[in-house]
Amino acid sequence: MTGRAPEPHALIGAYAMDALDRAAAGRFERHLARCGECASELAGLRETTARLSAAAAVPPPARLRGRVLAASGHTAQRRAESRWPSPARGGGRSITVAAALVAAVAVIAVLVVVAIRPAGPAPGGPAAGRRAGLAIAAVLTAPDARMLDVRLRTRGRATVIMSARAAALIFTASGLAALPRARGYELWLVGPGRDRPAGMLPRPRHGMTAPVVAAGLRPGDRLGLTVEPSGGSGRPTSAMLLLVTL
Amino acid sequence: MVVMETVSGRRSPPRHRVAGGASLAGLLARTARGDQDAFAAAYDQAAPALYGTVLAVIRDPFLAEEVTQEVFLEIWRTAARYDQDRGSALAWMATIAHRRAVDRVRSEQRAADRDRRAATHAVAYDEVAESAEHNLERERVRRCLKWLTELQREAVTLAYYRGRTYREVAALLGIPAGTVSTRMRDGLIRLRDCLGAAR
Repeated sequence: MTGRAPEPHALIGAYAMDALDRAAAGRFERHLARCGECASELAGLRETTARLSAAAAVPPPARLRGRVLAASGHTAQRRAESRWPSPARGGGRSITVAAALVAAVAVIAVLVVVAIRPAGPAPGGPAAGRRAGLAIAAVLTAPDARMLDVRLRTRGRATVIMSARAAALIFTASGLAALPRARGYELWLVGPGRDRPAGMLPRPRHGMTAPVVAAGLRPGDRLGLTVEPSGGSGRPTSAMLLLVTL
Repeated sequence: MVVMETVSGRRSPPRHRVAGGASLAGLLARTARGDQDAFAAAYDQAAPALYGTVLAVIRDPFLAEEVTQEVFLEIWRTAARYDQDRGSALAWMATIAHRRAVDRVRSEQRAADRDRRAATHAVAYDEVAESAEHNLERERVRRCLKWLTELQREAVTLAYYRGRTYREVAALLGIPAGTVSTRMRDGLIRLRDCLGAAR
């Protein structure tokens, strides 16, 4: 995952400055979802664009302050906590997979936005959030979508939603052991041939990791998880914490 | 590969924190809990940067005012999403502001309209240089922009201060889009390094 930057990676500067048209932004976001180092590079570039912003400072009209504060008085806030499902509820034997999937759509659509916008939010209007949703909608809406709830060998549990038809899966985890800064969790597709890296998990927030979409599933693949240097490894260098038959 | 390593952006957020950034983060945390006074204080700190950014992209003061209001309401609603570990508060807020401004111009301006304005593109950089407000940050950024190659500077300022896509910048400058995207990335990295060193 390290090494030569693939083609979409060159767009990271343009992406940081909102200088991609929709199609290119979608392509870049798919890359971002699979690129372990991109989130931190993007965050670094956005610190720089913030300096460009500060350099453009102009005092706003005085009346704007009163308007903003008055409007905030009757605007409801979103609670961060409500976006995270309770890990304690895991298992979910009493609900059907279909119902769980419906719930997962809502949760994951929000989570993916978080994953894709490391510097922050997807402001309501823009299409970015919808695009991010579309990237996983293929999995969630596939007629053969299945949800698996599995325990890790060490601690924590993972939820996997996968579709053979979409040849992709969505992975989230909760309660994972904290890792030092220099290390991260890496997903693998373990097939008959070489183990293929399937993306680094983002750093957990509130004990949960935002979803990772792994594409390129092949028949017979299993899903693995290991601890690797935070830049990712080309092949697993530690024991599988998880090996799920899909 | 070696070249990529030298330009690739290793993250070092605290270096680039603007003055007051830490307390701005604290204000956002309180804003997330519904604290209106904290929100007002955050407005006072960030509004000039955000309004100035929106105005640079949108060009129309009345529309810029409207969009800035939307930006702050977005900040109010979603303050709980801001995560200090992932960047400075101003970066988070400026990202919201810039994206909203860009979305607005792209949805409202016809391509032809934008092309007519293309002739004025050289103004983007001059404006940073000459604007009436002479704050320290502007001086630093202006100095560091000079340190970029001409192409890097054009690519960065047209994208950030004019809301141009990299393809539009490529058409304006008459160079391949791939080159422009690369210059945007290495231009930002060079700017980051210069600004970091200047702190």
